[in-house]
Amino acid sequence: MKFVKVMKLNWRLDARSLWLVACGQMCFKLQALGFRLFVVFGLSATILSCQVKDTPLPIYGEREVVGTDTVYHTIAPFAFVDQDSAWVTNNTFKGNIYVADFFFTTCRSICPIMKTQMLRVYKATAEMPDVKLLSHTIDPEYDTVALLHDFADRLGVESARWHFVTGVKDSIYKIAQTSYFATAMEDKAEPDGFIHSGAFLLIDKKQRIRGKYDGTKEEDVNRLIADIQKLRDEK
Amino acid sequence: MIRTCLSLILFCVFFIACVPSNDDKPSGSSKYQQYYVQGGILYTNYCSNCHQVDGSGLGRLYPPLNKSDFLTNHLPEVVCLIKNGKRGELVVNGVMYNQPMKGNPALTDLEVAEIVTYIYNTWSNQKGLIEVAQVTSLLNACAESK
Repeated sequence: MKFVKVMKLNWRLDARSLWLVACGQMCFKLQALGFRLFVVFGLSATILSCQVKDTPLPIYGEREVVGTDTVYHTIAPFAFVDQDSAWVTNNTFKGNIYVADFFFTTCRSICPIMKTQMLRVYKATAEMPDVKLLSHTIDPEYDTVALLHDFADRLGVESARWHFVTGVKDSIYKIAQTSYFATAMEDKAEPDGFIHSGAFLLIDKKQRIRGKYDGTKEEDVNRLIADIQKLRDEK
Repeated sequence: MIRTCLSLILFCVFFIACVPSNDDKPSGSSKYQQYYVQGGILYTNYCSNCHQVDGSGLGRLYPPLNKSDFLTNHLPEVVCLIKNGKRGELVVNGVMYNQPMKGNPALTDLEVAEIVTYIYNTWSNQKGLIEVAQVTSLLNACAESK
């Protein structure tokens, strides 16, 4: 008799605990669902806010505060010769936005991809007279003016909008490293003899770097094309 | 609504009809498949930077491999230049190209055969399997003519 009572009590306890466990699970599931919803909403809110918010492009490099003015990093003075034997200096890009890169005509690795992508930028900016392109050769001994002329001609581009420049090798390497923060140097260990970055640099009308993009990646170049428009709209 | 449905179905039918099946390829053998797949990987590594993934080339700098009369008519020369490179003028589809192409002497005969099989059977090209034995004899011939 006593045994049965105990059994009954046990059963009741068990039923109650089961009920509690079920309740707990339900609560947990609801909580998890709520959390998931929260994450989804949170994420979409962030994405939406990113799209809506139009943040200005960053200004790269070191800056100095002089009195009430901020002095930004700008491209150092340069003078190179382009495919038409014309001088190309900082003045060539006065009041213009330009995109700069470093390459050489005999490179088989990333340069052809960069040129394919730069050609996209060239076509996308066809109706923008204030946007120009500047490609520096890092192999000036081989890439002569005549060769660059032929290269540009075969690419089918106008020299007024896309300058292919050559010059003193050290000046090109120096401006790459110190003004554009791009890598360009000779390296005999490389199959083609040079190492250089595939970066495209976006330079504003005040000769400041406003964007850095991987010129071998289509998505990055899409971002560059969007940023060019953004920079043109800037006052 | 019905119209959109119908056009969607039509689109799907077209899409399926346009996707080439393997049976349409000149050769469906496993050896061909092996050459073709391996050749595709090698093409991406060695060739596609200049000649582009779709074989369209770039301007008058790098000639196309798709719809290229040179490719169609000069298999022995194509085999040689993949391995040994090429300098000087080259006319493709009536356009003169003059960008030097460096050779790839490290490629084995089999790898050259795989690349050749790939470029001769992808895009709109359909030549079929090009065997390693054929490539070896062609390579020996271009080494002799040098």
